[in-house]
Amino acid sequence: MIPASDQDLEQVQAQFQALVMPHLDRLLGFAARRTRSSAEAEDAVQEACVRAWLGFAGLRDPAKVRPWLYCILRAVLADNCERDGRRQRLVSITRLEDEHEALVGGDDDAVLVEVDGRLTSEVIRAALADIPEDFATAVEMHDIDGFKYQEIADILGIPIGTVMSRISRGRRLLAGAIAANQRAWLRDDGKGERQAEARRAARAVGIEAQGGLRS
Amino acid sequence: MSEQQGAQRAWRWNDPAREAERQAQHELLIDLLGAYVDEELPPETASQLDAHLVGCARCRREVQLQLAVRDTLAATPMAPARPALRDRILAATTTLPQASAAGAVVGLPAVDVHPGDATSRTGRRSLLRRLTTWLVAVAMLAGGWAVWHSVAGADRARVTTLGTPTASVPLLAAAAADFRRLGSADLPGPARDLDAVRAAVGVPVEPLTGPSVRLLGAWTTSLVGVPTAVLAYRWDDRLVVQYIVPDQLFFRHPAIRAAAASHHRVGATDGNVGLVAWPLAAAGSVLVGEGSPERLSGALAR
Repeated sequence: MIPASDQDLEQVQAQFQALVMPHLDRLLGFAARRTRSSAEAEDAVQEACVRAWLGFAGLRDPAKVRPWLYCILRAVLADNCERDGRRQRLVSITRLEDEHEALVGGDDDAVLVEVDGRLTSEVIRAALADIPEDFATAVEMHDIDGFKYQEIADILGIPIGTVMSRISRGRRLLAGAIAANQRAWLRDDGKGERQAEARRAARAVGIEAQGGLRS
Repeated sequence: MSEQQGAQRAWRWNDPAREAERQAQHELLIDLLGAYVDEELPPETASQLDAHLVGCARCRREVQLQLAVRDTLAATPMAPARPALRDRILAATTTLPQASAAGAVVGLPAVDVHPGDATSRTGRRSLLRRLTTWLVAVAMLAGGWAVWHSVAGADRARVTTLGTPTASVPLLAAAAADFRRLGSADLPGPARDLDAVRAAVGVPVEPLTGPSVRLLGAWTTSLVGVPTAVLAYRWDDRLVVQYIVPDQLFFRHPAIRAAAASHHRVGATDGNVGLVAWPLAAAGSVLVGEGSPERLSGALAR
């Protein structure tokens, strides 16, 4: 049934805006972590909001608006992903689990303390792209978006035990990815330092060959 | 290697059965440690883990890791959505049909609808049905456009009052100020060639037509630093002035965009001056004159 009058329509619009707009920032953050640019993320959120508006009657319980919106946004992102044929940059799970094992399976805490001390939002955000989507989604929904386990189970349509497992394992994979990335950075830093040293040495040799520094 | 670590390694090698048992226990517990730190486990399970952690350094490290990852992610800064995105969404909700009943969200008994319904096949079919219905309706509307326009008068004729002060919309404020300047001086010379005006502003310029509207003159000026076509008319024995500006200037302010998206004219007042703004095919138009925007809108009736 279409709202009988302009006044009714305005009332529904006001209800929609009051329920949906407060969640825009978080929806955008969720989309931004799954798209290649902020423009794509904005388009996805706008599309989700339009779908939400068209299906506003499907929302019976205003208290469930946030999981409902995430549900719609995930559908939009899935459609876009299918359309664009995009693939995530994934690292082998076995490799990440090996890295994680090195963090917690040793006899001392030194490596763990080292990784813990270097954890930043940027580092962990980069690592999120390395782990499979199922794990990343569960972890993000809990740790960033603040959903409870049962809400995540409802949104993703999976048993709560699976949510539990995905969050726990997802964080382990994240830690593994961070450790692997740090190892790579350290290698790159060492390589860069060696190259800089080689350049300095080459310059010194060149200067010497030209007869020393000019005053 | 410390003496204690050496002893631990020796113990492991010396008692492979216990080591295997411990490893099996880890495999069982490790997937629960996330829920343990999130306090999502039943109390009795959490107590069992408490007891296990006392004697297991590896699981304690795992807990530390889970906490570190969780807390770092929780502290991830959240970038606010740009106002332009909010405006686009608000505009969409005012232009697209809303298929639900008014009060569907609040006022009906709360039914625990699974949120997944929105993406379920049923939900998708339902959405497709609604979209199809809407597209059919759009096609019918397009077919009946001419009849609707001539008989009933377009909804575009409806004037929506600007939600913000006129002074906060630079285009409208500049148009009102320019109109006042014109009101206190002679109009610029004889009417210029409209083609020359079009060429100067780079946007299509079509004068208003109507039984009691007569073009007095056309020239160019600059509003908010943008070349603007100015068309002065005699309407109902009074002077009204139309400013035609490029899209970029017209759609610059969100209040204008929102009203334009809803296919309504924007009405505003600045003292005794009324303003009516509406989008053209490839430009925007602001009509300024003395009186209310609703009355001024009468000059646009054909």
